[in-house]
Amino acid sequence: MDVGLTEDQIALQETTRRFLEEQSPIGALRRLADKDESFDPAVWRQGAELGWVGLFVPEDHGGFSEGFQGVVDAAIVAEELGRVVFSGPFHAVATVAFAVAQAGSDAQKAALLPALVSGDAIAAWCLSGTGAQSGVEPGGLAVTTRGDDHVIDGIAGYVQDAAIAQHLLVTARSDAGLSQFLIPTDTPGVTILPLELVDLGRRLAHVRFEDVVIGAEALVGEAGAAAAQVERQLQVAVALQCAETVGVVDRALEFTLDYVKQRYAFGRPIGGFQALKHRLADHVTQLEGAKAAAAYAAKAIQDESPDAAIAVSVAKSQCGKWGTEIVRDCLHMHGGIGMTWEHDIHFYLRRAVSNEALWGTPAAHHERLCALAGL
Amino acid sequence: MNTEHLDTDEQRAFRLKAREWMAGRMPPRDPQEEPCDLGDGDQIAKDRRSQRILWDGGLAGITVPAAYGGQGLDKRFEDIFLEEAEPYRLPWVFGNAFNIVLPDLLAHGSEHLKTLYIPAMLRGEHMWCQLLSEPSGGSDLFGLLTRAEKRGDKWVINGSKVWTSGGHFCDYGICLARTDPAVPKHQGLTMFIVDMRAPGVTINPIQLVRGGSHFCQEFFDDVEIPEDHVVGEVNGGWTVAQTHLAQERISMARGWHIGLRTPAKAETIEVQTSYLDTARQLGLEKDRHARVLIGEAIAIDAVYAMTTARVGKGIRSGALPPTSGALSSLMAANTAVRRTALLSELVGPAGVAVLPGEEEPVIGMDRVCTHRIGGGTTEMQRNIISERHLELPREPSLDRNLPFNQLKHNSSAMAKS
Repeated sequence: MDVGLTEDQIALQETTRRFLEEQSPIGALRRLADKDESFDPAVWRQGAELGWVGLFVPEDHGGFSEGFQGVVDAAIVAEELGRVVFSGPFHAVATVAFAVAQAGSDAQKAALLPALVSGDAIAAWCLSGTGAQSGVEPGGLAVTTRGDDHVIDGIAGYVQDAAIAQHLLVTARSDAGLSQFLIPTDTPGVTILPLELVDLGRRLAHVRFEDVVIGAEALVGEAGAAAAQVERQLQVAVALQCAETVGVVDRALEFTLDYVKQRYAFGRPIGGFQALKHRLADHVTQLEGAKAAAAYAAKAIQDESPDAAIAVSVAKSQCGKWGTEIVRDCLHMHGGIGMTWEHDIHFYLRRAVSNEALWGTPAAHHERLCALAGL
Repeated sequence: MNTEHLDTDEQRAFRLKAREWMAGRMPPRDPQEEPCDLGDGDQIAKDRRSQRILWDGGLAGITVPAAYGGQGLDKRFEDIFLEEAEPYRLPWVFGNAFNIVLPDLLAHGSEHLKTLYIPAMLRGEHMWCQLLSEPSGGSDLFGLLTRAEKRGDKWVINGSKVWTSGGHFCDYGICLARTDPAVPKHQGLTMFIVDMRAPGVTINPIQLVRGGSHFCQEFFDDVEIPEDHVVGEVNGGWTVAQTHLAQERISMARGWHIGLRTPAKAETIEVQTSYLDTARQLGLEKDRHARVLIGEAIAIDAVYAMTTARVGKGIRSGALPPTSGALSSLMAANTAVRRTALLSELVGPAGVAVLPGEEEPVIGMDRVCTHRIGGGTTEMQRNIISERHLELPREPSLDRNLPFNQLKHNSSAMAKS
């Protein structure tokens, strides 16, 4: 995280780390995976009670942050979640809470936000289609009007936590532009198609919409005018993901450094060989870059800086590319043991690889950077 | 960023003095100006004049003790001076003098040497070079071969130094030489001050790949040095060199030529518009592959700027250890090399060949010339990061405890000696 954290932020970081080490260490994910489960609802509820979701929700609805004020704090939490490859639905719930707090009607806020803050309800965001640009721009869902109602058709791809959510935030395109809706997951015509994942602590699904008819009260903001709001949500989603990746890599590099200092070959610790230590020097350098970029992005969003959109894609470029590269090489440095189910590092690499691909690949964000720069 | 609001009365008075003195006297700064070529004699003459203006106004050597001609003030006054100097072109040819020789002398020099050389340095009278690297090796600095022998009341130097910036314009050099080859390599070295115009000194400019020639190689043939021109102890050169190298790293991290300082950076991401212009000129603005390359170039530039800012801020606040400076350094090198690869891929053959009369094919030549060798190769940076920052085991050394004259050297060096 940022090198200039406040005392409160350091306290938040420490409390979160302690809670996760006690309640949901990396071993928790292994136990879930061995049972073919992906998350523990009780731990998620406890985490929510610590205020993780409330960082995006104003006081009148059970939280404690207005507008963008919670983004840096949420990034601190996300980084800690990365360190233990946490399996709860933080990313999805936080993003939807942010969206509804920003753009929802009073009725929507009152109905949903307190339940998201307490961990009782889970919500997921249907943004993109199933193509290569998935996660970086809207697509996949079309909306038309029928009388006073709205009708949604299409497939939303790679929707995080749709399979465990009671609520869906839906971004769909019409001739007028982008619109957003908040609907129950069991709305007629909605089908969840769970996917099998590389990351064992996460849930993704395609969500099919077939002639899904919804009333105007489900609109989040104005019909056809949601583009700016969608961009803000996307920024928050990507920034939180980057912070999480930083946590994943930071922890993986920590235990890899311990390992190469303790493992002996040819009469010396293997960490003394330049073949390894020069790579580790490159890795810690790029990790410092990832930390700098992720912290910059979260702060730019929170400060509503004009360069927030660019900052987010810069962060994803760095964290996406080097997240995978560094953890992959950390696994390699463990030698044979790194290739076993028994060692934890594959959980880290699974998360890093998934984070590289979801919410826009580095290449997709490179294209986005060109567009943002005016090319 | 101007910090005028933080000034005490004394600081305020200093600020106003600096502002008033420099206005109309100092040359204005040109933000487009290219980094200085130390092979340019006119430039050096201008910088000597600028430094003299600062001296005359009581603005030279702000943190240097008054006994040696400085102002004897603390770091805060230097920051105030730099804020006030923002509109002007500060001299930049005295980088070696102020960044390295001055701290060496203050920490290790005798009173005689300090009073002899520091005031003249502050008046802009002397250009200094550092005489460390040798043709036989650069990374293994302490394996150097240049010999200094005591003859009567003189030291006599024989050998060769290389990669001396602006050597042919320099008045004095600070020179590390071997005074006792019968002890292990770190123990037999001494730091000297050498008059670059003394008999027996030959200075040859080196032509680089791109044609520039501000680096030199020096040959020393029986060059005599007064007995009292030793900095620190005889055979204590390694200790002086530690100060020297630490100051060099700090200065490189801060920006070597204070005169080159860019104005206080806007705290936002700056996108190089030249990337976009290049894509448009080549008709590649809609090409997905080109856009991915350009996007990455934008991203790595931004990450480098953010990382440097983070590391600087973290070291100052104590949130990051001082060894983190090497991270910025390695990232600078890696980013530069990656950028040349991205741009070469973007422009293809246009990067390596142009019609006569056009400028040289810049992108291709950047690809040829962008390396990190000077100021510590990337391998040395990686050693520093892994051994000091990550605390991984040091390289085993075969030369630490053996007398220097029993070590193996380059076969060519052996043949000469």
